[in-house]
Amino acid sequence: MTLDAAFIPLLLTMAAASFLCRASGFWLMRFVPVTPRVQAALNATPLAVMVGIVAPAAAHGNLPEIAGLGAIFIAVRLNGGDVLAAIVGVAVLAAVRTAGL
Amino acid sequence: MTEPRIESNAETACFTWSGIWRGFLAGQPLGIGTFVYGLAFGLVARQASISVAEALLMSAVVYSGSAQLAAVSVISQSTPWTSANLWLIAVTIMIVNARYVLYGAATRPWLASVSPLKSYGSLFILGDGNWILSMKAHADGERDAGFFLGSGLAMYTPWLAGTLVGASIGSLVPNPKALGLDFLLVAFSAAAAVALAKSRNDIWTVAAAAAGALAVQQIVPGGWPIVAAGIVGAIVGYLRWKPAGSTVR
Repeated sequence: MTLDAAFIPLLLTMAAASFLCRASGFWLMRFVPVTPRVQAALNATPLAVMVGIVAPAAAHGNLPEIAGLGAIFIAVRLNGGDVLAAIVGVAVLAAVRTAGL
Repeated sequence: MTEPRIESNAETACFTWSGIWRGFLAGQPLGIGTFVYGLAFGLVARQASISVAEALLMSAVVYSGSAQLAAVSVISQSTPWTSANLWLIAVTIMIVNARYVLYGAATRPWLASVSPLKSYGSLFILGDGNWILSMKAHADGERDAGFFLGSGLAMYTPWLAGTLVGASIGSLVPNPKALGLDFLLVAFSAAAAVALAKSRNDIWTVAAAAAGALAVQQIVPGGWPIVAAGIVGAIVGYLRWKPAGSTVR
């Protein structure tokens, strides 16, 4: 466990840049009055971000990704709960990959 | 949920141990993913001749696989590595993690009423997975801000443990792709999105976000399609808002 003294400025820089990303949005929203309209915008953000994570993976996905996403869709609709559905999707993807399809 | 919150900007959230525990349990499946990616980062860091202690500290303060790999590549291109340009490292991390600004903004109504130590402390370990998990829980009625911290801890602690093990005994790293772990965040997002999209109004958000993400994906991959989707979705939510009796959650 060695720590180079010259690493400290690097570490502090990385820490500051990282925390700035995580804290600045929350801090800036102090100055934005949350009207019902702004609330509606904030409420739409999580769903939009989820779609933003899934869409590129689906568009560039091969059979394992498509099979995994299909399994998730079915599992949620069968009321299996979203965490269970996600695990089912990962298992299906891993199985299809292992099968070499 | 129906009363207007214009005045205070905030809900009255609590912050309890039971909420932290609920979030911690909910985040366990995602913790498996961060553990294996932590292993992989530890290995990469060792190969770039970063010590175990340094790798662990990096994981503790940056806590982002893509940002840390980018930072390591900047560091390893400098000779000696300690002369790496600090501004370049800072800008690299901020570009890779720009989506966190959006995530943090969306937590404001929920976290505004708890103390700054609790809100900013929880945000310190904000990640994609626990944010998605928490926002889904919030949409389902969770108001305990401890859930956000707890789900973050469920991913952060395995990330540190993975880094430590990977940097110490790197040769044992399994292939995350073979285990399907590269798909874990996509899977959680897809499941949460299918469960969350209930109203007809949501179709517009989904369509706009997908279009925004795929368009930006053509130009810059990585975190930017997510940023685009979030912003486009927020704009659609803002424009399509209708007073009283609408389907706004």
